[in-house]
Amino acid sequence: MMSNGRKELPVIRTFGRTCVLAVLAAVLGSSALRAATVIGDLAPDFALPAVAGGNVRLSEHRGEVVLLTFWSSRCSVCAAQLDALGGLQTTYRSAGLVTLAVSVDDDLDRALRYANAHPTRFPLLLDRRKDVSRAYRIDRLPTMVLIDRRGRVRFLVPDYRRSDNSYVAQVRELLDDPL
Amino acid sequence: MAPLGNRKPNGFFNMRTANYCRRFATLPALALALAFSLASHAVTAADTAAATPATTATPAAAATPAAAAAPPAATAEASTRALDEQIQDLKQSVVDLNRDLFVLEEELLFPANTQVAVFISMDVGAFFGLDSVTLKIDNREVSNYLYTPREVAALLKGGVQRLYVGNLKAGQHELVALFSGKGPSERDYRRGAAIKFEKGVGAKYLELKISDRVRRQQPEFEIKDWE
Repeated sequence: MMSNGRKELPVIRTFGRTCVLAVLAAVLGSSALRAATVIGDLAPDFALPAVAGGNVRLSEHRGEVVLLTFWSSRCSVCAAQLDALGGLQTTYRSAGLVTLAVSVDDDLDRALRYANAHPTRFPLLLDRRKDVSRAYRIDRLPTMVLIDRRGRVRFLVPDYRRSDNSYVAQVRELLDDPL
Repeated sequence: MAPLGNRKPNGFFNMRTANYCRRFATLPALALALAFSLASHAVTAADTAAATPATTATPAAAATPAAAAAPPAATAEASTRALDEQIQDLKQSVVDLNRDLFVLEEELLFPANTQVAVFISMDVGAFFGLDSVTLKIDNREVSNYLYTPREVAALLKGGVQRLYVGNLKAGQHELVALFSGKGPSERDYRRGAAIKFEKGVGAKYLELKISDRVRRQQPEFEIKDWE
């Protein structure tokens, strides 16, 4: 009897440790998920200088659908994405779409060279202090944030693939949604 | 020169907070009253609709359907008007409450004895296109504001913007404002202005004023201390 009880004890301990680890993993996982998503929240306001000159403030575009994209000169996919967004902006500008592209480059000169080499139809903004990318919890590039007419974050598109145009449907859904 | 955290409560908080709590308590009551009113109107409308076939069934009433229908229509219109007035009252009370809460928040966060507010205004602006203003108080950056063309236009129309509001203990302080933008001939322009001021027991208001000095063809930056 005693020997059986001693044998069972390590099993119980192992099970207990596994349970504790599982709970810890669940808690950490959920907090990480919470940190990565801001959908449904009011989009944090910001004002950033544009490459072309002047400053742009997000709250001035309340009532319009804002497509906010974060890019970097070191990101290979970003150029293709900025091209595609230029087309989208031309198509839906009259419907109330505003596209803003925020650079998260550390090297300002490099970002400016890149911006001059890739002219766009929408403002390229410089986030030198990384305040905006931190506020939106951006952890990969390119990431698109779709903000509705009431100023709430509605969709996050954390990747860009040429073949995947699902974000266009999301933009259209927000444009169709009246204020 | 007591530290900010050692201020004694003056009883204002308790009294005002209690008032607002009472007002908060009235809001759900108003909402309930409105919901009840809506429900009662719906019941009245249903009753009227149910009663109408019975009255039209009698030959006398059938002879004058317009006369029978007129009083319920008038009642419905009057009740709709009353409901609309109630909704407007409710909206107004929400707006009032919001305003009072804003004032209360300001009074709690920035009490008059420690409050410092910095305003900015622009006059003419032919020699200077404002881009940003950085504020430093006692060599500590407290604000860095970027101006969009719309905001500059608003300032040029005579708007005064409250750039910063914060708390400072009584005594001597220094405010430094750095203005950057486009100067004469569209050149990058950066200029600073500084003022040493005495913070007393009352609130302190400072104004950053950007104006044109026509004789020199240059912008002028001054800091005005509102006594």
